[in-house]
Amino acid sequence: MDYFRSIPVHMDYDGQHRAEKLSRIIITLFGAVGLIWGYIIQRFSQTVYIVGAGFVLAAIVTVPPWPMYRRKPLNWQKPRPAASKGAPIKSPRKRND
Amino acid sequence: MHSLLSRGNAIVAYTLSLLACLTFLCFLSTLFVDYRTIAAINTVKVVVKSVPDYSAAREECDLGFITFDLQANLTNLFNWNVKQLFLYLTAEYSTANNALSQVVLWDKIILRGEKAILDFKNMNTKYYFWDDGSGLRGHQNITLTLAWNIIPNAGLLPSIVARGQHSFAFPSNYTVTRV
Repeated sequence: MDYFRSIPVHMDYDGQHRAEKLSRIIITLFGAVGLIWGYIIQRFSQTVYIVGAGFVLAAIVTVPPWPMYRRKPLNWQKPRPAASKGAPIKSPRKRND
Repeated sequence: MHSLLSRGNAIVAYTLSLLACLTFLCFLSTLFVDYRTIAAINTVKVVVKSVPDYSAAREECDLGFITFDLQANLTNLFNWNVKQLFLYLTAEYSTANNALSQVVLWDKIILRGEKAILDFKNMNTKYYFWDDGSGLRGHQNITLTLAWNIIPNAGLLPSIVARGQHSFAFPSNYTVTRV
């Protein structure tokens, strides 16, 4: 169970942005190619199949949280020391005085 | 886009929107195609009988029997936005009772990929050629026309009348023997 918990499933903000952009590019490209190819051979079913292939490729490339979408993690602040547990929350600037 | 499900949802929605756009482009690309072509029609046997129409008022009505020849090459009608053709052969005539009667005598479906070159000799009609009175006997000007519906992937459902029609006359005597 701990092994499954240890699998990272998140994308960082930059990764989310790139995943969305990449999926749009892949599907649009396959759509354009499919439209041209379907028009050349005069079969619209081929257009639909090519769009379907683009969908599958985009799903494989951009839906799972691959490591390339986790290269720019946010730098979170360090956890507060345990001593401040239970104390009323103040703004960090005052507490550091 | 933060979770697996939201990313999956986003690409499914985008794919479907794109597919709708492509379908619309396919419709636009065939909007101005001229689907008319030539059909050669001829009648072989032309007989008229007077028989009771039990499907209606049981009065004696004129029932025409014809066989026909039909040649047409419809291969060029198929493009990427045509799924099938529905052909129908219509007899048009006017009588004293009716300014215009149109009777569908025969029809045929041609699916995409099937042979679209028609060459029929001495074909029987599929449907009865009833008049609603006695307007067929001795009628001098019955016009046969071939027409078709284009069933598209997306867009309009046009009904096209073929170029080339055939006019014939019914005999002035009823046939009483079996035909």
